[in-house]
Amino acid sequence: MDETMSEGIEIASPSVVKQKARDFAAALSETAQFKTYEHTAYAFRKDQTAQQAMQTYQQKQQSLRALLTLNALNAEQRDELERLKSEFIDRPVVQAYVQAQEELVSLCQTLGDSISKSIGLNYAASCGVSCCG
Amino acid sequence: MDTNHNPSMQKATEELISSLLASEAFVHYQHAEDRLVDDTQARSLLEQLSKVQAEMRKKQNNGRLSKDEIDSLRALQGQVQSNDVIQGYGQAQQEAVNLLREINDEINQLLGINFATFANHSTC
Repeated sequence: MDETMSEGIEIASPSVVKQKARDFAAALSETAQFKTYEHTAYAFRKDQTAQQAMQTYQQKQQSLRALLTLNALNAEQRDELERLKSEFIDRPVVQAYVQAQEELVSLCQTLGDSISKSIGLNYAASCGVSCCG
Repeated sequence: MDTNHNPSMQKATEELISSLLASEAFVHYQHAEDRLVDDTQARSLLEQLSKVQAEMRKKQNNGRLSKDEIDSLRALQGQVQSNDVIQGYGQAQQEAVNLLREINDEINQLLGINFATFANHSTC
């Protein structure tokens, strides 16, 4: 291990820490949660109908953004937006992707919490992640 | 740590944590934190600043902030900024944060996702 001593403390060099980070990423990539996430994300990307449903929903959402911000949609607009949203998120390929993402997020949160608790700094916040990602 | 009883994941996490704690940045950060904890004057300054800032925010919301109050806040901020122990702590913390960002980039490159984003608990 490429380490040096400083004031009696064994210092881990940046290359050692980066290798441990790569080992961590490799271990995470081998988890069932990550593999399922990758498979479902790939299936979602390849599903033309799901992609089209997402685009249609997002375009409608975009066209109504000003009214949405003001909470000023009429019943017809609200119904149409809800219908497009359902046509998108109710697709099995989308549901599988969302569920896999939730499970991966849960695992990453557990791992991130463990790191944060041990190092005394909030990992996600330190990496510049805000509530909006 | 519960990682769904995945020994490889647990081992890799523990080793990453150990290497982070043994890195120069985190050793400095730990020393700086110890110095801050041991320095009653520095801690008192930070507590004072935090208290005064909270009071000022309240007063500002009510539109009752005098020039004297603003001047006293600035003076206190000046004392905090010129305190070596506090400065050292702030710099050491920034170095530790910089290392975490580098580590996160390393993880992200391999995974193709932003690990920190997935690990984040906050929602808008």
